[in-house]
Amino acid sequence: MKAIGHTKWVIPGGHIPGTSTGIEPEFTSFDQLCILNTSKKEAEIEITIYYSDQEPVGPYPLKVSPRRVRHTRINDLIDPLAIPLDTDYAAVIESNIPVVVLFSRQDTRQTAKAIALTLAFPAE
Amino acid sequence: MTVHDAGRALRKIGLATHNVGDVDVQTLVGAIGTGTHGTGYQLQNLSTVLIGMRMVNACGEIVEYSFEDDPEFLRAARVSLGTLGIFTAIRLRLLPAFQLRRREWCTHIDETLAHLDELMAENRNFDFYWYPRSDRSKLRTWNPPDERPDQIPYAECIEDQTGWSHEVLPKTRAVKFDEMEYALPAEAGPLCFQEIRTRVKERWRKEVAWRVLYRTIAPDDTYLSPAYGRQTVTISLHHNAGLPFQEYFSDIEPIFRAYGGRPHWGKKHTLKETDLRQLYPKWDDFQTVRKRMDPDCIFLNDYLRQLFGETRSNKMTTNNKRGGM
Repeated sequence: MKAIGHTKWVIPGGHIPGTSTGIEPEFTSFDQLCILNTSKKEAEIEITIYYSDQEPVGPYPLKVSPRRVRHTRINDLIDPLAIPLDTDYAAVIESNIPVVVLFSRQDTRQTAKAIALTLAFPAE
Repeated sequence: MTVHDAGRALRKIGLATHNVGDVDVQTLVGAIGTGTHGTGYQLQNLSTVLIGMRMVNACGEIVEYSFEDDPEFLRAARVSLGTLGIFTAIRLRLLPAFQLRRREWCTHIDETLAHLDELMAENRNFDFYWYPRSDRSKLRTWNPPDERPDQIPYAECIEDQTGWSHEVLPKTRAVKFDEMEYALPAEAGPLCFQEIRTRVKERWRKEVAWRVLYRTIAPDDTYLSPAYGRQTVTISLHHNAGLPFQEYFSDIEPIFRAYGGRPHWGKKHTLKETDLRQLYPKWDDFQTVRKRMDPDCIFLNDYLRQLFGETRSNKMTTNNKRGGM
């Protein structure tokens, strides 16, 4: 199958909830990227994180194998710098080939788990 | 010569050190001189491989020492932070080159802690990481290739690699980090780790995403070895280089100290001579050797002066005495 999607995606509303309730990692609060690569070529991704009060940080390198989907918690990204919890951020995701990016948030700050999903904005 | 280079050179002549640390980019003599270690319940730190050396002493003389002729000097010199002289050649206790099978496993930290004793006892080398933002754990095991082919039922194997010891014990790292590590009595390790885990989850998860590393070392009799006289576990904190680490490390350091922790000589800590003297039964013996070898403290920089309780006025006094005043 040919590559589906776009090469640049934007998530302007990032904010990893600062606390969690319940057993981890299942109930850890998180922001997460779900990246689908339908092509026969490995997708080489670079993520840049923007903040409200400091210069952008990045690139955060990520690879998605051919014809695979990869789920990555923003909480776990440490290269080049850990992304702080409970802090507003935006993410720009750039790929060498078209991919599809879904953004999801699990919020367990209170006991009733809440999940939000949205497609990232396809910029290019 | 780095630990990495030494491993390659030794392999060419069919030899190897008994262990290698997680990082191998530091100089071999630096690793020896700071009590640097790998992991392994029955494996001593890298300093214990030193059995002799040629060195330039504080008088500029070239002198030689060996464990056979002067074992007490070697017990002082193995971990001496460069304060006894400049080593120009070293003699090492080595093993025939050997291969290891390295495997990495993912599981939950509760499973790791529930099986910790058997993991430490049944693997030649074992350590684990704890990930503070998920409570997951990575186990790492190294064993002779023909031993322990079985699985760990509560963990998923994510890496399986066999190679020469110097190739598979360390891991290449591109991301720079700051680190604090303390060596603790082995029996205190689990409780200390749990207290750190609780503290990190309560106070530090907003900033800290890097893992905490838990390793083991066999006891030795080197005066300033963090594993001196006791079966040891080490716990180390990591934080991205470039992010502020002081508050995080300063908050956790008292927990290490409450469990009798001794700091790694080559990593972050805040202890001074008065603190260190209480942690090392052979502290005064080491100081006696150091002052005999270097009465004018020419091998001490400002940092080492603080560690060993030497002020510049002390040096002046010594110089004046030697000048006949």
